[in-house]
Amino acid sequence: MGKKTLVPLGPYHPLLEEPEFFKLYCDGEIVKEVIWETGYNHRGIEKLCQSKTFEQVFYVVERICGICSTSHPFAYANAVESIPGVEIPERAKYIRSIVGELERVHSHLLWVGLAGHFLGYNTVFMWAWKYREPVLDMFEIITGNRNSYAMFTIGGVRRDISPEQAAQLLKVLDEVERKTTLLVGAVMDDPVIHARLKGVGILTAEDIHDFGAVGPTARASGVDIDVRRDDPYAAYDMIDWKVITANDGDVFAKAEVRLLEMYESISIIKQCLEALKKTEAGDIKVKVKEIPPGIGIGHAEAPRGEVFHFVKSDGGNSPVRHKIRAPSFTCIPTFRRSCVGGTISDAAIATAAVDPCYCCTERMSHVYDYTTGKHIMSAAELIKLSQEKTKNLKAKLKV
Amino acid sequence: MDIEQYIKDIKIKFPKIIDAEVVNTKRLMIYIPKSSLLQIAEYLFKYLAYRYIIVTAMDSKEGYEIIYHFSDDSSGWIVNLNVMLDRDKPEIESLTPVVYGVEWIEREIMDLLGITFLNHPKPERFLFAEDWPEGKYPLRRDYVEEE
Amino acid sequence: MGFKEKCFKKSLWVFHMSAGSCNNCDIEILDCLTPKFDIERFGMKLVGSIRHADVLLVTGIVTRKLLPRIKEVYDQAPKPIVVIAIGACACTGGMFKDSYTFKGPLDTVIPVDAYVPGCPPKPEAMLAGVVKFLNKK
Ligand code: SF4
Repeated sequence: MGKKTLVPLGPYHPLLEEPEFFKLYCDGEIVKEVIWETGYNHRGIEKLCQSKTFEQVFYVVERICGICSTSHPFAYANAVESIPGVEIPERAKYIRSIVGELERVHSHLLWVGLAGHFLGYNTVFMWAWKYREPVLDMFEIITGNRNSYAMFTIGGVRRDISPEQAAQLLKVLDEVERKTTLLVGAVMDDPVIHARLKGVGILTAEDIHDFGAVGPTARASGVDIDVRRDDPYAAYDMIDWKVITANDGDVFAKAEVRLLEMYESISIIKQCLEALKKTEAGDIKVKVKEIPPGIGIGHAEAPRGEVFHFVKSDGGNSPVRHKIRAPSFTCIPTFRRSCVGGTISDAAIATAAVDPCYCCTERMSHVYDYTTGKHIMSAAELIKLSQEKTKNLKAKLKV
Repeated sequence: MDIEQYIKDIKIKFPKIIDAEVVNTKRLMIYIPKSSLLQIAEYLFKYLAYRYIIVTAMDSKEGYEIIYHFSDDSSGWIVNLNVMLDRDKPEIESLTPVVYGVEWIEREIMDLLGITFLNHPKPERFLFAEDWPEGKYPLRRDYVEEE
Repeated sequence: MGFKEKCFKKSLWVFHMSAGSCNNCDIEILDCLTPKFDIERFGMKLVGSIRHADVLLVTGIVTRKLLPRIKEVYDQAPKPIVVIAIGACACTGGMFKDSYTFKGPLDTVIPVDAYVPGCPPKPEAMLAGVVKFLNKK
C-alpha cells in the first residue's frame, strides 16, 4: 500500500461563509479517509434554552443558524404547541408556510452560488446571489429583517401579511421563477458541469439509511422522504405540491433536486397567498396561557433536511430539556462515503453537495484552527484544484 | 398505523419491554431496560427500516434518561426508545454497531453528560476544547459554572 | 487623524474570521461582495489569508475552543491591522453571554477598532461602519 498523505481541507475556504476543518488522508490522488474536527462553534445553545422562557427560546433557536432561521423556530413551534395541543389559526398556518418556503428559495439560491464558485463558475455565484437579493428584500418587507425573522410565536405568528405585501411578493416570485429557469438552463445543459458532477460523490440509499441523512441529500439518492408530506404541519396538507426526488445520488442529482425544489416552493407560496385572501386578516394568533408538563417532539423540513426538536416541560416557565438535531448533523458524516475513493479535486464539491451547515451541527458556530497557518493556503489550493479541473475539462470539450 | 395493535405486537415480540405509551399525537414512547436496547433498536432500524433521527440524553429526577428517536416515514409516527440509567454508574452499550450514524451523538453525550458508551469505536472528546476540565458536564443538574 | 487611519487610505484587503457565529453575519459579509452592494468597486477585497489583510472582520462569540486560535490569528496579522467586530455577538456576546463556552466579548481578547452592532447588521451598516472609521478625525 502506498504512503498516506494528509490534506487538510479547511479550516477556511476563502469564500465559504464558515470555516470547517476536514482532514483528508490521501494515497496519491485518491482520498482514503475523511476525519472531521468540530466543536469550534459550540455555543451551548441547548443549555441556554433551558434558562429562557418558552417564548424567548424562539429567538435563541433562530440564531442557531442564520440560513435556517425559520426552520428551527418551525420545529420548535411544532414541538411546543403539541404539548398543550394548540391548534393555530388557519391564516397563521399559511403565513408560516410562506416564510418557510421563502427561506428555502433563498437558501437553495445561496447553495447554487457557492457550488458554482467551487467549480470555478464565479459568474453563477454572482448571479445566484444577485437573484437572492430580491428575496431578502421581501423578507425585510414582510418580517422586518433580512435574516433572523422573529416571525413565529407560540400559538401563531407575530406579523400579518397585508394584501399590498402579498402583491409585491407575487411580483418578486415571478421574477425569481424566471431567473431560476435561467439557472436551471445554465446548470442542466452545460456539458462541463455534467462532466464535473455526474458520478461524483455518490451516496446509495443504504448509505443514507445508515447515517440517517435527510433532505435533498437523501432525496437525490432516491429516498423519498419529506417531513412536510410524511407528517404534515402548518399548511402543507392543505395545498398541492410534490416531493422532488432523483435516483443517481451524485452531486448532479443533488443540484437537480435543489433547483427543481425552488419551483415547488414558489408554487406553494403562490397557493398560500391565494388562500390568505379567504381568511380573515388579523386572525394570526391564539393565546396560550401555559405549557403543561409533558413531552413535545416536533420536526420540520428545513432547506437542508429535517430539523428535529425535543422539548420536555415540567409545567414551569422554561423547558427542562431541549434537544435540537439539525440536518447537517446526520448529513455531514456521509462525507466518509461520498469522498472516499474519489480524487482530491472532487472532494470540495462532494462535501459542498450536502450543503453542510456547521453552525447547526454544533448548535453553536466556526472552525478556525491555527495549527493550520499553512493549511489555509491548502484550502484555497483545493478550490483552485477543483477550478482547474473544470478548466481542463472545458479545454477538452472545447466549450 | 394501528397503534393499539402495534403496542400489543411489540410487547409480545419483546417481553422485556417495561411499558409503551402514546405521549403525544403520533409520538410513541417505549420504555425498555438497557439490556435489550441493541435487540429492539436493531428490530426497528434494520427490520422495520425506520430512520434513525437522533439520541437525546437528559438528567432527570430518577437518573440519566436516554431516548433514541426513530421515525417511521411512511406513517409519520416517531417511535422513541427510553432507557433509564443509574446515576451512580451511567453506562450503556454503544449503538454504533447497529446504527452507524449514532457515533457522533454518543460522543457528544459523553462530553455533555458524562455517560459511558461501552464498545464505542472512538470514545474521544467531540465538542469541547482541549483545556476543558475533566469531570465537568454542563448538562448535569449539579453543574456549576467555574470562575 | 490617527496612525491607523493614515495607513489605510487605499484599497483595503479584508480577512473574515468567523468565531462562534450563527452564519448570518458571515453571509451578510459575503453579500457585500455580490452585485447589489459590490464593495469591490471600492477596491475592497476578501482575501484568503490573514497574512495579506489590512482589515480583520470578526463575527460571533469567542468560544472556549476558539480563544487561543483567535489570538494566534491576530498575532499572525501584519500590523497595523484594523479589527472590526461585526454583530451583537462579537461586540458584547449578545444572547449567548450566559453560555458556558462564552469567553468574553471580542475586545477582551484582542484590541478592537470599530464595532458594527446589529443581529445581523445589514450590509449597508457594515459599509457605513468602515467608512465612519476611515473618516475618523
Ligand atoms: S450577531 Fe446575530 S446574526 Fe450575527 S452571529 Fe451573532 S446571532 Fe448571528
